Amino acid sequence: MTEGANQKTTAEEAVEVALEVNGTVTKVLVPSRWLLSDVLRHRLGLTATHVGCEQGVCGACTVLIDGVPTRSCLLFAKAAEGLAITTLEGVLDDPALQALQEAFHRHHALQCGFCTPGMLLTALAMVRQQVPAEPETIREYLSGNLCRCTGYQYIVEAVAEVLQAVDRGDPAGSPALP
Amino acid sequence: MEHSRPQWTGARVARVEDARLLSGRARYLDDLPLPGCLEVAFVRSPHAHARIRRIDPRLALAMPGVVAIWTFSDCPVRLLQSGVYPVGQPALADGEVRYVGEPVVAVFAADRYLAEDAAEAVEVDYEPLPAYVDLAAIVEHPDWAVHPPVDNRYVHREYATEGFDQAFAQAPHHLRVRFRTRRQTAVTLEPRGAAAVFDPASERLTFYASTQSPHRMRGDLAKFLGLPDHRVRVVVPEVGGGFGMKANTYPEDILVAWAALKLGRPVRWVSDRMESLLADAHARDDIHDVEVAFDGEGRIWAVADHLMADGGAYPGYPFSGAVGETGLAAQVLTGPYQIPHLKTTIDCVFSHKTPLGAYRGVWGPIASFVQEGIVDRVARAVGKDPAEVRRLQLIDQFPYRNPAGLVYDPGSYRDSMELALKAIDYDRWRDEQRRGWREGRYLGIGISVFVEPSAMAASESGSIPYEAATLRMEPSGKVTASLGLGPTGQGHETTMAQLIADALGIAVEDVVVLHGDTDSAPLGGGTGGSRSATIGGGAALTAAERLGEKVRRVAAHLLEADFEDVVLAQGQAYVRGVPSRALPLAEVARIAYTDVARLGPELEPGLEVTARYRPPLPMTFSNGTHVAVVEVDIETGLVKVLRYAVVNDCGTLINPQIVEGQIVGGVAQGVGSAFLEELAYSEDGQLTTTTLLDYRLPEATDVPPVEIQHLTTPSASLGGMKGMGEGSLIAAPAALVGAVNDALAPLEVWFSEIPITPEAIVRAVRRRAEAPR
Ligand code: FES
Ligand code: FES
Repeated sequence: MTEGANQKTTAEEAVEVALEVNGTVTKVLVPSRWLLSDVLRHRLGLTATHVGCEQGVCGACTVLIDGVPTRSCLLFAKAAEGLAITTLEGVLDDPALQALQEAFHRHHALQCGFCTPGMLLTALAMVRQQVPAEPETIREYLSGNLCRCTGYQYIVEAVAEVLQAVDRGDPAGSPALP
Repeated sequence: MEHSRPQWTGARVARVEDARLLSGRARYLDDLPLPGCLEVAFVRSPHAHARIRRIDPRLALAMPGVVAIWTFSDCPVRLLQSGVYPVGQPALADGEVRYVGEPVVAVFAADRYLAEDAAEAVEVDYEPLPAYVDLAAIVEHPDWAVHPPVDNRYVHREYATEGFDQAFAQAPHHLRVRFRTRRQTAVTLEPRGAAAVFDPASERLTFYASTQSPHRMRGDLAKFLGLPDHRVRVVVPEVGGGFGMKANTYPEDILVAWAALKLGRPVRWVSDRMESLLADAHARDDIHDVEVAFDGEGRIWAVADHLMADGGAYPGYPFSGAVGETGLAAQVLTGPYQIPHLKTTIDCVFSHKTPLGAYRGVWGPIASFVQEGIVDRVARAVGKDPAEVRRLQLIDQFPYRNPAGLVYDPGSYRDSMELALKAIDYDRWRDEQRRGWREGRYLGIGISVFVEPSAMAASESGSIPYEAATLRMEPSGKVTASLGLGPTGQGHETTMAQLIADALGIAVEDVVVLHGDTDSAPLGGGTGGSRSATIGGGAALTAAERLGEKVRRVAAHLLEADFEDVVLAQGQAYVRGVPSRALPLAEVARIAYTDVARLGPELEPGLEVTARYRPPLPMTFSNGTHVAVVEVDIETGLVKVLRYAVVNDCGTLINPQIVEGQIVGGVAQGVGSAFLEELAYSEDGQLTTTTLLDYRLPEATDVPPVEIQHLTTPSASLGGMKGMGEGSLIAAPAALVGAVNDALAPLEVWFSEIPITPEAIVRAVRRRAEAPR
């Protein structure tokens, strides 16, 4: 075995990054090249944000930035300073998110669950924007979030159900349960 | 014993797994907190084939955070399945690299960023050598060898039914086709990974694995690390998809475990996407040269097939995907049709490409694509409707022995096709199609009647022809179950709880199902080959029956009733016909554990059993039919799926909603297989599709809504379940390809290669238009 000269882990030079995550500003000391996804996951312990590609394609790392679904793997943490970042952990009390969770559960809109946090945040943005509950429109909106397990159909149905409830003006889009 | 009507089995029970996944609280491998953990980055081969002249890690070693840098001699392990294959992949390349992406050097550092920096600084001096990349060329050149002096054709098998030659020669018509499936891979959304922690106090290694086969992984680690198996604990955290790809043990797994032992620190490796496209098991790199003999009615008399598969540079461990794909394809090639004669020749060869492993369906999608392609061509040749030609020869007598010798248990082959045609409104689409052709619109209908041999004794999850379950009724009357399965999103915590709840007369929420921990689960084969519901379900049922018996014995004693008269229902044990003579299970269990004086001398304290279940047949066949209606735009080459109907028969349904989820997901993967996904290699063996932009997965807008109906022909296994995890991906590519070929019939364009890309369609249509008539 060849052993490193630096047995005692030398950290690389770090910078201070002030991130507003889920309504709270937190300062972390990280190297300036760290991605937002890595800082959220490995420094702030917010592991609902998943990493599926780091190529900007799969959408598993989706967070809301100033309310807009954004890929956290394409952004340096430093570049996210001053922006309002929302992860799934930050909206668990939001009634619209809860309506989506409930609909995903009833419609079997998830299997392995790896894509699910990203899907939920994309769907939440759709609910907030009051996107029309058309399957084609929903598919368009979801096309930036890959799911390898479900074939999307029941995700589309779950999201449609919540959007319809929003259309009807139900509070927070909570679907009328049978 | 009186059985109350099943309450849970067959019901659309929403999954118990969902809560943690929907709230982001699930922990996948990369989410596990492992303080002090080292991260690994691999230096991977940039060459398809080269000699390693020299490796110089000096520069890299001096970089910040680097703890160690390893080459083969630091972990001299070969993943050799001895007695089965002639060679095995070294954990790190040993003097020679044989595919792009092969791990050569492992760098251990404080975090992944630092490890990757150092990996880039490792100097490796290569002497490039010629690379063998193209399957057809490799088969034609027996002198090319990836592992000289080992025969490059590492598997060769021949088979023919008696009287084949005569039947073939006597048939009035013949046709020949070469079918080609291009390399694909599973692409689980969660990349592969592993982590290991050695505990010096207990002298045990805990290995966290994103795998489908926890016990197999433990066995492999014990074997390669030279540890007794009870010193190795494999824990499978949440797994973000497997699809067969996570059924292997990979070089990276061995490296991570070995490093945790040698470096005395926790070690973790999580694949990035480029690595996973390069180094996860590939699949489906096959050629089938087929000759078919048939009569003027469209009845097929005999099929001959030369099956060739490119196994990559090493056999996948512990099984080679090439062998799995060809070996079983050769046995199910006649699918659901009564074709009396078959002749197959199998050649599996090494190449300078990534090793082949499993991807959902393994042989199935290939065999179905060939089998339905044959039937469609025969139908066209005799000028008959493809459904009509299928009706002529669909099997309807059971058990049915196919020409390869496999015995099919009862199924609903004919009914499934008729029902699917009705669901799609077949005749109306045929009318539409003719109208469309007159207007320059290309509509096509594809039919795929599939067989899915499931729950095999020996599957990719290991040759363990049983599953095991440990069930414990706790003092509270609630049940903890532990199984050796390795679910990757299939919802076993729900389906197994449904079976157990019914057998014990309790509610699903009163059962907790544990899996993926070799410390708690009895040894099992894991998940793969569509075996969990049938074999795992059988184990859960057997264990639940035995536990129920124990509970009833205690209750009978306490109620002063005959054992035979005690019934379990609604969380109680009561005397048949006298519901007032009842005890809550909580009371029975409490006494069984903590008030044992009341048990008397005969009864054993405690309520715990371990049971193993072995199905009565070597396999059970699910079946069904997919029908796709597509529209092909011949200008752009784009295919739109207009309708998609599935009739599925997997025997007893434990949970129809979960079955439907498997079906829709499989159809989506079928869309990828048919139209999008290809791992493309350049002539010199560079993989050119290393991002998800190049290797295109189906998006929400690419896949159709799927209309599903169920038929139920129970298996002979306990509970009557059949496996169904793969059938939809087995059937879908054939249906979709068939529909495209059907749409383009007036242009006489046939596709016999997948994926069918838009460019391929435009090219074929143009070539046809330019061809002299
Ligand atoms: S991880 Fe960011 S898009 Fe895939
Ligand atoms: S549920 Fe597995 S990737 Fe979507």
